[in-house]
Amino acid sequence: MNLVGTLFCTALAICALSALAGLATPTRLRLPLAGLGTAGAGALGTAAGLAALLGESWSAWLPELLPLAGVRLAIDPLAGLFLAVTGVVALCAAIYGIGYSRDGLDGRVVQAAAPLFVAAMLLVPAAASVSTFLVAWELMAITSLLLVVADHRHRSAVGEAGLWYGVMTHLGFVAILAGLLAFAAGAGGESFDQLRQAELSPALRGTVFLATVVGFASKAGIVPLHVWLPRAHPEAPSQISALMSAAMVNMGVYGIVRVGLDLLHGGPVWWWMVVLIAGAISALYGILQAAVSADLKRLLGHSTTENMGLVLIGVGAAGLFAAWGNAVLAALALTAALLHVVNHAGFKTLLFLAAGSVQRATGTRDLDQLGGLRTRMPYTTGLFAVGALCASALPPGNAFVSEWLLLQSLIHALPTSGVVGAVTMPLAVGVIALSAGLAVATFVKAFGIGFLAKPRGPEAARAAESPPAMLGGMALAACCCLVLALAPTAILPVLSHAVAVALPGPGAVTGEVSLHLAGISSVISPLLIAVALGVAVAGTLALTRVVATRRVRRAARLWDCGGGPMSARMEYTATSFAEPLQRVFDNVLAPESDVDVTPVKESAYLVESVRFRAKVPDRIERRLYEPVLSVLTFVGRGARHLATGSVHRYLAYGFWALTGALIMLAVFQ
Amino acid sequence: MTETMFTLPPSLYVPLLDLACGAFLLTGMMVLWRRDLAAIVRLFALQGIALAALIVVLGVYEQDVELVAVGLGVGALRAGLLPYLMRRALIAGGAGREVRPVVNVATSLLVAAVLAMLAYAVAQPLIRLSPTPATQAVPIALTVLLVGFFVLVTRRRALSQVVGFLLMDNAITMTAFLTTSGVPLVVELGISMDVLLAVLVFQVLTTRMRAAFGGTDLDELRELHD
Repeated sequence: MNLVGTLFCTALAICALSALAGLATPTRLRLPLAGLGTAGAGALGTAAGLAALLGESWSAWLPELLPLAGVRLAIDPLAGLFLAVTGVVALCAAIYGIGYSRDGLDGRVVQAAAPLFVAAMLLVPAAASVSTFLVAWELMAITSLLLVVADHRHRSAVGEAGLWYGVMTHLGFVAILAGLLAFAAGAGGESFDQLRQAELSPALRGTVFLATVVGFASKAGIVPLHVWLPRAHPEAPSQISALMSAAMVNMGVYGIVRVGLDLLHGGPVWWWMVVLIAGAISALYGILQAAVSADLKRLLGHSTTENMGLVLIGVGAAGLFAAWGNAVLAALALTAALLHVVNHAGFKTLLFLAAGSVQRATGTRDLDQLGGLRTRMPYTTGLFAVGALCASALPPGNAFVSEWLLLQSLIHALPTSGVVGAVTMPLAVGVIALSAGLAVATFVKAFGIGFLAKPRGPEAARAAESPPAMLGGMALAACCCLVLALAPTAILPVLSHAVAVALPGPGAVTGEVSLHLAGISSVISPLLIAVALGVAVAGTLALTRVVATRRVRRAARLWDCGGGPMSARMEYTATSFAEPLQRVFDNVLAPESDVDVTPVKESAYLVESVRFRAKVPDRIERRLYEPVLSVLTFVGRGARHLATGSVHRYLAYGFWALTGALIMLAVFQ
Repeated sequence: MTETMFTLPPSLYVPLLDLACGAFLLTGMMVLWRRDLAAIVRLFALQGIALAALIVVLGVYEQDVELVAVGLGVGALRAGLLPYLMRRALIAGGAGREVRPVVNVATSLLVAAVLAMLAYAVAQPLIRLSPTPATQAVPIALTVLLVGFFVLVTRRRALSQVVGFLLMDNAITMTAFLTTSGVPLVVELGISMDVLLAVLVFQVLTTRMRAAFGGTDLDELRELHD
């Protein structure tokens, strides 16, 4: 067993031990043992992934471990990338979880399920046969479902979120199962090596691709299969939200890349057009919902849909370029997509962990009740600011780099791509630009309303800073974000090994400080941009200080138009911040508002009370899911008449079934 | 051992076999006809004797002592112990009649005829596999199986239900002996113990039902439904 294998197997073993520790140790020891174990497993998983990214691959076949098929594992650079990302997220989340889980989340089930969840997410990319993959996938789904419903005793929304998640994830699993089984049956074997060499008919290939894409897209929270994501991710404990939103959704991307580009070796234009369009719609719809959301964690969940949409734009573009024979651009688009996966994992971990700190300190996630946390929770505020900057796709944030790469690949596609490309590529560019703009608004809202100004509610006014373990976890994630933002050149060369698994060819991006793109004359240097920005900001600050100190400072009351002292009730809220956007995108979002005026009894002209309610429902959910659900409910109600409680009726069902089967046998034998 | 045993010539074997099967079928059908619960228990006991006779005839013909012994055991259980237990339950609950079956007696007998035809149609491939006198009788076992199920579905009193269940079990046992000349002794013992246990449970249950509802009409249990 080489280095990768040793590290990987040790990580899995530590996960199992941590789960045991979570089950068997007393409450006092449980958190540190399970948390540190998971963190160690995360670190080892990262190391294994990085070693695999640097070129060392590992594979194993354990025929006795699972009946019939055995377990087949293989770690190549592509798997290594996702292992490394999962490992880092698990490391940060586990350290954070030691501090976070003290209040009510230190139960045996939660503490044992979390390490198993991490183990499942490490296993999914390492699986090298259909059966192993499906087992790992299902283990990931079940453990995450257990963790989502961990808090069900305290909040009623958790049960509903768990139900949505359970149903959607299993429908997705059915799609993946059907697709991969059809693939294995057509290929005559179930190991990924056999699948790679399979010669299938175009119709079967298309069916396999579509079925698996539907399943993987539901895991990645792609519209219109996203409805579970903004429910389940916010309701889970925060470190689990981070694991789900930063690591688990990536598995959907991994599945699409692995099956579509690696196992099926790419495909016709329409496959990738489906992926690209789904990605574009998700990016826009996700960020729009995030922009108008007033729930901090729900906002982050919608932002996950947006970022996965951007990644799928990249994956779809890579497939398209490969189908059109432009290997250089295909490699660039896939590099951008995978880099965005890494970047998103970094900032989304940080943001969810910081949001968890806020929730723990204030007991609420409602941005309209928050504010004024800057003085009470300075470290969390600073860390959330880093995350918000990274998420808004502006320099010097890390998402800027990957989105810039993605835009470069799309813009330079025009000369080579024919009519279809000439129509879709500019639209995709527009989508990315629009979503980037909305992301800025969204995260300005999340940070500005949530952390700055005065507290809008009594809970926010009583907030206190989080314990060191939580800050440590967040700081680690912030460091990862900073490294990714300032030195993407450090990981881009190894990233090209992962890209080469799916699209063989040379690396698309080179450079030490600046990024040079192969075949394109574009150059960018994130480090220099950051330095320039830093100098400019420092210069401006120095200048204002110099200018300001010339005058004598005067302390005076803020001008309040004579209306009495300003109160927190007069502050801008998240809802009011998003109102202009909601107005602009009125046709897409279809917000509902309801004004209820109660007049005084004596006169219709005097108002006693006015009640205003505004809500932005998920329109896709309302149009697509509610009709299906109501039909299912109707059928279910009807089916209750089958079971009246009469023993004779139940026996008669059996009797009729038996005689019916016998009659069929007698007639058709 | 085999030399000392009495050998059964085929000229005697086939009529004896058919006689036992005929008795088996007749008693099964008559369960549908009679409404008096005590008579139903008697019919079941008679069917047990027919089943035992069938197994013994098979055992003597195949010169298999073990099979004869199993036949006697089956007879003791199905013609002796089980009817005895049911009669005790009947006496404890006060003798009764199947007052109002879900399907009336005339229709039940017609349905039984249809079920017999169905059983004959379905059993043809089985008979074609090895056309011996024993397998020729498989349709009878299938008929009684379906009739037992039909009793289970249409009779309301708990005791009739148990008899329906036991008819099915008798039929399954008979099929086993006709087609494979007997399942291993251990399996037969296991099944017999199960059946015995079911009847014992039933005995307790009827007493409890009578205490709780004042009757043993199973539809009284409807209130248990959610």
